[in-house]
Amino acid sequence: MTAYAYPDVLVDTEWLAAHLNDPKVRIVESDEDILLYDQGHIPGAVKIDWVGDLNDPVVRDYLDRDAFATLMAGKGIRNDTIVVFYGDKHNWWATYAMWVFKLFGHADARILNGGRAKWIAEGREMTRVIPSYPATSYDAPVRDDATIRAFRDEVKTHMHAKGAMVDVRSPQEFSGERTHMPDYPQEGTLRGGHIPGAINVPWAKSVNEDSTFKSPEELAALYGEQGITPEREVVAYCRIGERSSHTWFVLTYLLGYPNVRNYDGSWTEWGNSVGVPIAKSYQG
Amino acid sequence: MERQGVIDRLLDHYQHPRNAGPLADADLVVVGGQPDCGDQVTVYLRIDDAHRIAQMHFTGQGCTISQASASILSELVVGMEIADAARLDDEWMLGILGRDVVHNRSRCATLALSTLQTALARLPTDQRNAVAS
Repeated sequence: MTAYAYPDVLVDTEWLAAHLNDPKVRIVESDEDILLYDQGHIPGAVKIDWVGDLNDPVVRDYLDRDAFATLMAGKGIRNDTIVVFYGDKHNWWATYAMWVFKLFGHADARILNGGRAKWIAEGREMTRVIPSYPATSYDAPVRDDATIRAFRDEVKTHMHAKGAMVDVRSPQEFSGERTHMPDYPQEGTLRGGHIPGAINVPWAKSVNEDSTFKSPEELAALYGEQGITPEREVVAYCRIGERSSHTWFVLTYLLGYPNVRNYDGSWTEWGNSVGVPIAKSYQG
Repeated sequence: MERQGVIDRLLDHYQHPRNAGPLADADLVVVGGQPDCGDQVTVYLRIDDAHRIAQMHFTGQGCTISQASASILSELVVGMEIADAARLDDEWMLGILGRDVVHNRSRCATLALSTLQTALARLPTDQRNAVAS
């Protein structure tokens, strides 16, 4: 078995258990269910919520440089801290948080392979004690919206150039049958379908049942056989950019693709936008 | 109530939901859903002859807040006049649940209430506006 492109970016549960009290490490839980952390979390972990902590409360955007620096200081995170993310739903929200950290260039961000589910399945220690860390001073750069983030007009250009595009939503969303995940209620996106030229690789195909990531060979085949190859510039999208952050992580860090951007406007923007084309196969 | 008390109450309702399960003789059954976090709640209502909510049951799945709020609501609305229940709003629900804890998932927190109100809206207008005898 070959190795992941950047194996150090994944830590396993054993490694984390050995570093619970490592002052160089800060564990961050990020979940869809905002009260999971309160029901029990990995000892020493702090919570970062994608709505309350990472989103701008007014503009559809992420927090700015000053807010990020304040958030880091409050969580006891320094520029050189090793931040290990974990969470529910196969680390879906953990990778989303990590993607936002990378917008600010945080150097050492890692993912707990298997996330919250695997830690619990192994019977490892959980606590309801909320830790407190001395405030730090964090020097946050201006958010980099160019390297790993894509905006609608850039995606439009990418589409016309026939660039590689991964739609990580479900096949039903991709076809236009639904505008959201299976078993999720219909919502207010005006049109169903996908961005012309996109191929469909649902994000969760990259993980095993125990929430760990599939092997490098399996992942390379999953994307490579669909034409999503490392020499191409890749844009990933979903509904609001959270599921596609998971695929961004897989392509960037596990397969080593050098140029992957996450389109966080995703289908909730594209599917409602004036003047952009869609493709759909569902004729119902 | 302090923050931890609010959380403990929500967790208690999530782990030990009140009025959970279908209501066999329901007058109204409405399915509601929240796409942002995959929550679903089905509300079952029985209305009595005095135009009051006699019983509310629910089924559903999803995050802690969406399911706990359905449980809490199912206790609060029993005996309430239909017209009064129809006037409950999101602010009321957030206040009942604990605004500081649930405000970042406000759509989850108000899912059960909005589903209840969808159900009540299906009643004939005269019944919806009637004052209990």
